[in-house]
Amino acid sequence: MKKRKRLYILGDAAGLLAAAVFFIVPFAFMLINALKERREANLLNISLPDSVHFENFLQVFQANNYQIITAFKNSGMIVIGSVLILIIVGSMGGYVIQRRKDRTMGVCNALIMTGLMVPAAILPTIWVLQRIHLYKTLTGMILIEAALHIPFTVMLYRGFMGSIPVELEEAGYIDGCSGWKIFTKIIFPLLKPVTSTVIILNAVTIFNDFTNPLYFLPGAENATVQLTLYNFMGQYASSYNLLFADVILITVPMLILFIFFNKRIVDGMVAGAVKG
Amino acid sequence: MNRKKIYSNWFMVPAMAVFTIFFLLPMVISLFFSLTVWDFHSFTFCGFDNFKTFFSDSSLYSSIKNTMIYAVLTCVLKLFLAFFLAVFLTSKIKTKNFLRSVVFFPNLISTVAVGITFCALMHPSKGLINHVIELFGGNGMDWLGNTHTALYAVILTDVWKGVGVATVIFIAGMQSIDKTFYEAASIDGANAWQSLKAITVPLSRPAMNSVIILSFIGGLRTFELIWAMTGGGPGYATEVMASTVYKQYAAGYYGLSTAGNVIMFILIAILAFPLQKFLLSKEVD
Amino acid sequence: MKKRVVAVFMSAVFATGLIAGCSGSGDTDGAEKKDKDKDVTELSLLVDTANASTAGFEAVAKLAEEKLGIKVNVETRPGGTEGDNIVKTRLASGDMADLCVYNSGSLLNAINPKEYFIDISGEEFADRLDDSYKEAVSVGDAVYGVPYQSSQAEAIMYSKPMYEKYGLDVPKTWDEFLANCDVLKEAGETAILGTFGDAWTAQIPFLGDAYNLETNAPDFAEKFDAGEAKWATTPEALRSFEKLADTTPYYNEDYLATTYDDGCDMMANGEAGHWFILSKALTNIYDLYGDKVNDIGIFGMPGDDAANNGITLWYPVAIYGNKNSEKQEAILDFMEFYISDEALDAYTEAALPAGPYCVKGYELPSESYDAVAQDIQSYLDSGKTAPALEYISQVKGADCPTICQELGSGQTTAKEAAEKYDKDCEKQATQLGLKW
Repeated sequence: MKKRKRLYILGDAAGLLAAAVFFIVPFAFMLINALKERREANLLNISLPDSVHFENFLQVFQANNYQIITAFKNSGMIVIGSVLILIIVGSMGGYVIQRRKDRTMGVCNALIMTGLMVPAAILPTIWVLQRIHLYKTLTGMILIEAALHIPFTVMLYRGFMGSIPVELEEAGYIDGCSGWKIFTKIIFPLLKPVTSTVIILNAVTIFNDFTNPLYFLPGAENATVQLTLYNFMGQYASSYNLLFADVILITVPMLILFIFFNKRIVDGMVAGAVKG
Repeated sequence: MNRKKIYSNWFMVPAMAVFTIFFLLPMVISLFFSLTVWDFHSFTFCGFDNFKTFFSDSSLYSSIKNTMIYAVLTCVLKLFLAFFLAVFLTSKIKTKNFLRSVVFFPNLISTVAVGITFCALMHPSKGLINHVIELFGGNGMDWLGNTHTALYAVILTDVWKGVGVATVIFIAGMQSIDKTFYEAASIDGANAWQSLKAITVPLSRPAMNSVIILSFIGGLRTFELIWAMTGGGPGYATEVMASTVYKQYAAGYYGLSTAGNVIMFILIAILAFPLQKFLLSKEVD
Repeated sequence: MKKRVVAVFMSAVFATGLIAGCSGSGDTDGAEKKDKDKDVTELSLLVDTANASTAGFEAVAKLAEEKLGIKVNVETRPGGTEGDNIVKTRLASGDMADLCVYNSGSLLNAINPKEYFIDISGEEFADRLDDSYKEAVSVGDAVYGVPYQSSQAEAIMYSKPMYEKYGLDVPKTWDEFLANCDVLKEAGETAILGTFGDAWTAQIPFLGDAYNLETNAPDFAEKFDAGEAKWATTPEALRSFEKLADTTPYYNEDYLATTYDDGCDMMANGEAGHWFILSKALTNIYDLYGDKVNDIGIFGMPGDDAANNGITLWYPVAIYGNKNSEKQEAILDFMEFYISDEALDAYTEAALPAGPYCVKGYELPSESYDAVAQDIQSYLDSGKTAPALEYISQVKGADCPTICQELGSGQTTAKEAAEKYDKDCEKQATQLGLKW
């Protein structure tokens, strides 16, 4: 037992050291360079700044008429909207696909899997959006993001359903629950852990999506956070200090969300399934 | 019980509706346009010319090769790293919550930002990585500029960024394994390695399948990171299928690029569907 | 549990939205106030980050707001391949800004301007455009744009202190140039500065050779457009690729990672002998290092004939008016104003030009960087200039930067690169509906 304990402490130490080298150094690199003056930052080293330039962050905020504020608002709306849709439609979809292995579901599953494989067809999508008057709207963007992440979400739910015993639904059926009730009352609560994962992973990917908003949500008033990076990245005028300051600013919301949710994932997971 | 009734088709309808309108429909439309020269307003039907152009392009084959290397390597590396990280991070170490956050952290940064950062770290003369290598007496190199290393440098960055998600999927799977299995095993005198092999590996199968499928397919259609770090270069050294297609698209050859999309889809489907079938069949066992 | 999680999640994001909403509203108020001021018309302008908010443009925009009551709201887009993509997607989807800044020449031809841009051939101010520039912003009889900035030389910058130190003379032929490079290389200097980290710069040794190509094979562009001549099979054209291949041994060690920005720093600090680049780099160097810019000279890419030395000019990107905008009148007013003497004076006062303007009768101001006022001017005086090929040919392959990067880094031969480029151009020709 004592030997075990020592092993764990050793594990802690090794883990921390590896984390410091592989994960914390790159972050420190961004942070340090975000505080430097342009020319110093362009040297790309990790030495401490000669003088600290917090005004870089201010400059990032002011760039392009405070574009970053609009950007945060837009990205926030897109993330909430699409993640909510994904939780609802994804959990329902993953549930039946895992439980019913007949032809209908096989077809649905195969179709949805194509979504993992094929990159979206951009111009035809714009064409469709224009027909239903959703082009250049947040609603359109939300639905697109939802559609693009349905495959992944359904897959996560489906994978997780595998660890939930079918006896639970049978018991519910015997108790006289309808199909809908079985899902909402018995299954959905059990999906908590994976729902947290779904929220985090999708929120992060959608928030960090660079290319899709570029196509489906053009216009300065529709800017999303990732596009603000372009303010500091030009063919003729990169300024690494502002670039990294912007990177940090737009990473912070996801960081907060994650720190906060990370604990929730752990809490939720303790409940686990009744039997493996 | 009546399976059809309990697991009603209606559960599938919302997901399929959104997915069909915003993904499948445009995809089908694009199949048609892959047979045309198209500028969004007007198109000229050109049969299979676009496909011919693609297949006569020597860079297509090197991009397919690069894509395969990329997909297989990122998939294998992520699978092994994530599995052992997850085992490590579900053990009784004290700092596991902190370390979990740290491992996941790279995923919070956008791909473009990761690309920018690693380009800076891998800079041949100024970059931190080479400075460290030189400190230990080694010779630094031009990671992204050397045609032999560029692809692997991007692959490692991809693993760095993506291993967190794979780890989370594994952790989610492992957390749902009933603890009593392990207790029973340890009463039977199994050591840690044995219970890892006999319990953890088989029971985290669904998670493992998700990781394999996701990172393999993710690798096959990789684009943003390559684009941010090398732009497919130097020359065509890190060109992958998605970047080839993107380049045609950006050049305004919409018909040609949709044809490339179709080729890419077929190639991925040939590889991924059997893989998935195989993995799922294992899962039922 | 679930509910709580979602609730917290949502309130967190909503809070962000609310805060953003509040601070955002301050701006909108401001904008509304300006809207009430009836005389101000707002025009949106889509421009790549590299060209956005240059001192020259800002000076003109400010003047336009005072004089015309037209306020230009700048919307930036990335440059390079992504930029092309955005412009094309937004044009195709009918979502272009009122004004669009984009390349002139064959790249303009490739975006089908007749569908999207206002034809200004009937306007009086179109006559002010320099004849050859006018051609570059025309497709058929229609004229579409006015120059956004001054033109530039697509040429070789050299370090004057380094030339002095090693007793070198400005080369008259390509061989002399290579000999100079050898001297520098043997002395341990960086003979040629490579900035292939930005792939577009890898094209310059190839594109900058246009003067020689056009004087040696005057009908190449025409035959090429007709599908009769190819790069790989026309010796004069292949020569441009060969020159690019010749440069491979002379680059700095990390040239594949060095970016244009790094290049400006290195050139200004005299760390390299030569740099194949657009003369706009002078402006960047001046902004960063002031008078050090005058340590840099420029010469055109030497040919094989010592008696014929010229320089290739790269025409400026142009401002185009969106045909489908409702503000036609304001757009035309702004375009007219933009190339008026008054506006050009304001432009020059804010930023020195990197080459001649493409406006008739507007002389290069005598006060400029030495490389412009002396070197480029002397080519202009003797009439030894030629526009880059993309301004006289309709077709420029989209993959040119990559092909040049591949060749310049020694992965292919000149012949292979030329063949690849021919194939690349063929795709463009197909898209344009040319019969090849």
